Amino acid sequence: MLRGIAERLDRWIVDRNVEAREEGLLAIPACKIQVLGQFALIEGGVPLTLAATKDVDVRGNFEHGVRKELERLLRREGYELDPVGHEIWMPRETRYADLFVGAFVRVLLAEPDAVLLSKALKAPKKNAALITEYVAQGASERFLKLATKYGIDLEQFV
Amino acid sequence: MTEADLQARARRKLAGIRRRRRDPRYVRVMGRFVGAGLLTTNERVPPNKEALDVHEVLWAGKVEPRLLELLPALLVKRPAMFVDATDLPEDLEEVVRRLRRNLVPDDFRGIAGVTLHGWLPRVGRKNRVPSRLKSFRFKAEDLRLLRHLSKELELTETDVIRRGLRKLFAEHESA
Repeated sequence: MLRGIAERLDRWIVDRNVEAREEGLLAIPACKIQVLGQFALIEGGVPLTLAATKDVDVRGNFEHGVRKELERLLRREGYELDPVGHEIWMPRETRYADLFVGAFVRVLLAEPDAVLLSKALKAPKKNAALITEYVAQGASERFLKLATKYGIDLEQFV
Repeated sequence: MTEADLQARARRKLAGIRRRRRDPRYVRVMGRFVGAGLLTTNERVPPNKEALDVHEVLWAGKVEPRLLELLPALLVKRPAMFVDATDLPEDLEEVVRRLRRNLVPDDFRGIAGVTLHGWLPRVGRKNRVPSRLKSFRFKAEDLRLLRHLSKELELTETDVIRRGLRKLFAEHESA
């Protein structure tokens, strides 16, 4: 879903920038959008039971016009930007993987271990079942090390 | 606890969570929420269009807390989704009472009040939040002004008053 939206957003910026060049106006700069939260897990195809409300959490360096277009494209699919999605805490060690790289838009997904760590630390009650399932499957060494580093007591989930 | 112990206990707990996810109450509730576009999931959930029992939603919310996150705002904005939107436990009733007045409620069963309130303009009719009735006594001259402005500005009388309040507030703040 997000990949398709990223493609359409990229095409939109390309079209706006062609018009801008013809009219001698400033072009829209390239932007980077980091997908956080539940949608980073869903779009990453993580093998866990996932449910999400319709708000998508992102952090990005996009202009107001690009944001508005992104909101419009999400609304068409029945989703919306979480107004405070950019405030989600992510560990410093978070890695991001490319979901889409276009001419002007680059969308990255936060790695699952970092997303799960953030959920375990900041919203443990809401995400208890998810963390339990992850630990039951065999959490990665990276997740376990980060959990220790950030003082998360995983026993609360079992 | 060793990692192996942790995993073993997690597996036992997960077995219980999976049993609850197979329960018809959970399936019914998730089917309704997913069918209404309120939640998305990678679980296979048959769609459901029937009105829900609030108590079943509360039960299913122990498995999927996002149901609890949306429930209070839905009770205010989409009561027809429920068989009886007035038969509520005390803590939920208090939350709904606050939301009806567009006030941030206390936290509800692990969900922050701010989060609950945030859903109010985003479910049902978008960007509409509950309003409160206030009655005032106006003199004849007040009514004349109100009607005149309503006609000239092409606003309802309520919107004339709303706009006047905001203008007065802005002037007061900048003074």
